[in-house]
Amino acid sequence: MTGSKESFISNFQAPSNSHELRSQGHQYMADLPVPTRKSERWKYSPISKLVNSSLMTCSGEGVVWPEEILPNPIPFLDSYRIVFRNGSYVASLSDLPIDDDVVCAPLGDVEARFENEYHKSEWIGAINASYHQNGLFLKVGKNKALDRPIVVHHLTDGENIASFPRHFIKLEEGAKAEVVVWSSATDKSSGMCNGILEAHIAPNAYLVIDKVCNEGGEIFKFSYEHICQERDSKMKINTFTVKGHWVRNELEIVAQGPGTDSVFNGTYMPSGKEHVDNHTTMDHAYPNGTSSELYRGIMYDNSTGVFNGKVFVRKDSQQTNAFQQNSNIVASKGATINAKPELEIYADDVKCSHGCTVGQFDTEALFYLKSRGIGIDEAKALLVQAYVGDVIAAVDREEVKNEVMRLYSERHRWA
Amino acid sequence: MLKIKNLHAQVGDTKILNGLDLEVGPGEVHAIMGPNGSGKSTLASVLSGREDYEVTDGSVDFDGVDLLDMDASDRAREGLFLAFQYPVEIPGVSNMNFMKAAINGKRAHAGLDPIKGNDFLQKVKECASLVELDGRLRDRSVNEGFSGGEKKRNEIFQMAMLEPKLAVLDETDSGLDIDALRVVSQGVNAMRNSDRSFMVITHYQRLLDHIVPDFVHVLSEGKIVKSGGKELALELEEKGYDWI
Repeated sequence: MTGSKESFISNFQAPSNSHELRSQGHQYMADLPVPTRKSERWKYSPISKLVNSSLMTCSGEGVVWPEEILPNPIPFLDSYRIVFRNGSYVASLSDLPIDDDVVCAPLGDVEARFENEYHKSEWIGAINASYHQNGLFLKVGKNKALDRPIVVHHLTDGENIASFPRHFIKLEEGAKAEVVVWSSATDKSSGMCNGILEAHIAPNAYLVIDKVCNEGGEIFKFSYEHICQERDSKMKINTFTVKGHWVRNELEIVAQGPGTDSVFNGTYMPSGKEHVDNHTTMDHAYPNGTSSELYRGIMYDNSTGVFNGKVFVRKDSQQTNAFQQNSNIVASKGATINAKPELEIYADDVKCSHGCTVGQFDTEALFYLKSRGIGIDEAKALLVQAYVGDVIAAVDREEVKNEVMRLYSERHRWA
Repeated sequence: MLKIKNLHAQVGDTKILNGLDLEVGPGEVHAIMGPNGSGKSTLASVLSGREDYEVTDGSVDFDGVDLLDMDASDRAREGLFLAFQYPVEIPGVSNMNFMKAAINGKRAHAGLDPIKGNDFLQKVKECASLVELDGRLRDRSVNEGFSGGEKKRNEIFQMAMLEPKLAVLDETDSGLDIDALRVVSQGVNAMRNSDRSFMVITHYQRLLDHIVPDFVHVLSEGKIVKSGGKELALELEEKGYDWI
């Protein structure tokens, strides 16, 4: 495996900015092992097939946007837009906010100070640190509420492409912003999309992220979100995996002050041989924090899935209220889900509840629907819609909610 | 309407129906009574197509079609309705979407286009008033958080919406207070006509004060052991099942 480690990165090229992070990345990339099944964090999401492939980064110059993908993936949403193709910024399709209290630009144009240390622990993170390309830089000033959501759209288009988006969001005290992080890929595409998003939410600020993966082709998609929440801040992130060959969503939320509120939900419905992995970590280190996590999945055909939800409630975080629920329906004999909640609670005056279920369709409910003349396929579709619809209903923006439901229904042929 | 001949059925290795014969004509109301464990609910389950039950012998002719040859959806589309003893809660599926899917399933089976929005709403309004089901209950998820009485009213509402040829009411009176019993019975009585048949499964005579049957049958050990008119129910009430 170590032999292919060097050859895997041999065709990657990095932009010339951000020397310090890149040189750190190179150092850790050399030192850290390629994850294998031996590592608990990657046990059910092996990447050897990826590492044995030969990929290239793209310069992004002189490219034509493919007709089959809308630059604005949510047509009815009145939003700003920042668009990337194979890691490179596409200025002609972007529409950035212009406001004295807001800095919104491609990451390559500004200096961002990242604090997450993902590259120090994960080889995948180290590659991103070394070769990261462009991304969103967003800074919203004190008490400013951004008037429209920002859609960050990344497209992978082409065979054997490696792309490395990297995004940075900072909300000053009392600020508010909504960001939709959308990824798509054309059907002929293959390779890897390895992205990192870091967000800092200052006291009393509120950040909403809706993350949607709707990728054709055969992409290994890694995304890592690192979210730091200061005192009394709020955040909500929805992670919807609509379509994707191999998807790993890694989310880490760190409370850095008391009274934080974190809501994070997700849905996944892989079919065929798709693979979806959701790793989440909620770190309560201060008192009076609340967190609520709800992930629901349905596994079809020969798909495989992973849910791993860590919740830390550290010694001084009294009065924490943490809720976690992960439910899975295994709809086919060939499908697999590996679900693992991990709660570590070191404070004594806290309220933590969690539940994790893996089951089949509710046969009583199915029979009830059938007994009224509803066919088995439609009966299942009604139950599925209700099951994931419950999670999707928590999305604030109607347009986003409707589009996610529409895409799922198109894929799974709901009426 | 319904001709059951020599019906044998079992769950796993337990034989429950042991050669049951019954004929129900159009427009007739048949009460099926019997002690606990006599096979009353099994009969309802077998007729409606519950998969846990295995039919080992016998036949069921439903208005000219072989009922046992169809799955539960098609039985319903052919005009069979089962009012559940324990209606199922289905969170997230609205009562209205549920009924629309059911009606359109039946219509598609009959080669008809989906029901028009206005016609559907009109029908909902009429049927809901029949069992005093208010708008709040109509718009909620199927049976979710409904009281026992509300669930049973919802069953009769669904029956009215689907206009079955034959309705099987499985212990519809269980868990009902006297007011709910009256409302549910009124709903059923309003649905009675010369074409539509009912099979009313009950342990107690009191439901039959409200839904007056044409025939009463007593089921014991998976067979009908006695049949008679409505007065048989009164006799049973007085003397108990041991008398049979």
